[in-house]
Amino acid sequence: MADSVALPQPRTLSLPSRVFALIPGVLLLALVGYAGKFLEQFIARYGKSHHLVLPNIEYVLWAILIGLVISNTIGVPAAFRAGVATYEFWLKIGIVLLGARFLVGDVLRLGGVSLGLVIIEIALSLIFMTVLGRTFKLRPKLITLLAVGSSICGVSAIIATQGAIDADEEDSSYAIAAILALGAISLFLFPVIGHGLHLSDRGYGLWAGLAVDNTAEASAAGALYSDAAGKVAVLAKTCRNAMIGFVVLAYAIYWAGKGQAAKVQNKAAFLWNKFPKFVLGFLLISVLASIGFFTRPQITAIGNLSRWAFLLTFAGVGLRTNLRELGKQGARPFLVGAIGEIAIASLTLGLVYGASKLSLL
Amino acid sequence: MATPRPSLPRISLDSWAVLIALLVAVLVRAGVLKVVPW
Repeated sequence: MADSVALPQPRTLSLPSRVFALIPGVLLLALVGYAGKFLEQFIARYGKSHHLVLPNIEYVLWAILIGLVISNTIGVPAAFRAGVATYEFWLKIGIVLLGARFLVGDVLRLGGVSLGLVIIEIALSLIFMTVLGRTFKLRPKLITLLAVGSSICGVSAIIATQGAIDADEEDSSYAIAAILALGAISLFLFPVIGHGLHLSDRGYGLWAGLAVDNTAEASAAGALYSDAAGKVAVLAKTCRNAMIGFVVLAYAIYWAGKGQAAKVQNKAAFLWNKFPKFVLGFLLISVLASIGFFTRPQITAIGNLSRWAFLLTFAGVGLRTNLRELGKQGARPFLVGAIGEIAIASLTLGLVYGASKLSLL
Repeated sequence: MATPRPSLPRISLDSWAVLIALLVAVLVRAGVLKVVPW
């Protein structure tokens, strides 16, 4: 994910005014998220009291669906948009706090396996997307943006790369639209495929974390399967996010070598700027939890705070997805993205299957 | 001439998220936030 995600706030406003402008949208996130949680519990209680077997639809799906309905019918009014755009901020807080539910040993073991698979996934995805983009005769920098977006970290990786390689706004908006549309599709397809293949929570979570592009969608796709799968998906996706600086740096050097981007003066500073800091926060909280800094009830409390933060994120995923806007993108970038995503999903499924056969999971 | 208004050092949104999450964890540890229902 990008080092920073700018909120759509005019720079001329004072800090209190900017914070105040976020309140309506944040309240909308909370309302939609809580409505999803309420619906899940209400349906479960209703089924139990009336002796009915009703499908157990998770709050994650309800929150996303309610958000999608609002976004694609009445639309999100302008006064709410700035606050809704904070959903990635809550996602990062949720990820850091989730660290309390991981012991360092688990992080090292599962994170080590994830990191190994992430390196293989990124290398193969970048090569495949580049070949595919050239076959479809896309513009070279659009190929780079699509390759980075689908191999690492979705929208934020595209934004980070756009600045580093001096790509056109038009290319990055095509790439972002393709990645968002595919993320929305995979959000609903992945749990169905996972259940169809009877994947374990750990196997499915690893697959979702490796294959779904945006961190918010990857977390949601994992949580839609189960709480345990959601945890693993976030860990695997965090490993993928940690690689963003290296890949963006490599592309920046490549395009600078061709004279089509500014030279990178200080590589260490570049890497630090692009490195997602929430990864460090996640590790710190995990270490603190592992050394007994928190009691068991405190770990439960921090874990629940993490769930609330994720709830706002899932509401935001639905609220910011406008299907009409996504439909306006170019057909070729979408086609390249779609073929690439299918290939990457198959490849990562194979990697996860191989890892489970080798008893690495 | 108007003197420029002093501004807070710019911290990325990512870093803000980490700081707030750590602050919340400290509040839980200090017993300020005792029970968080789900």
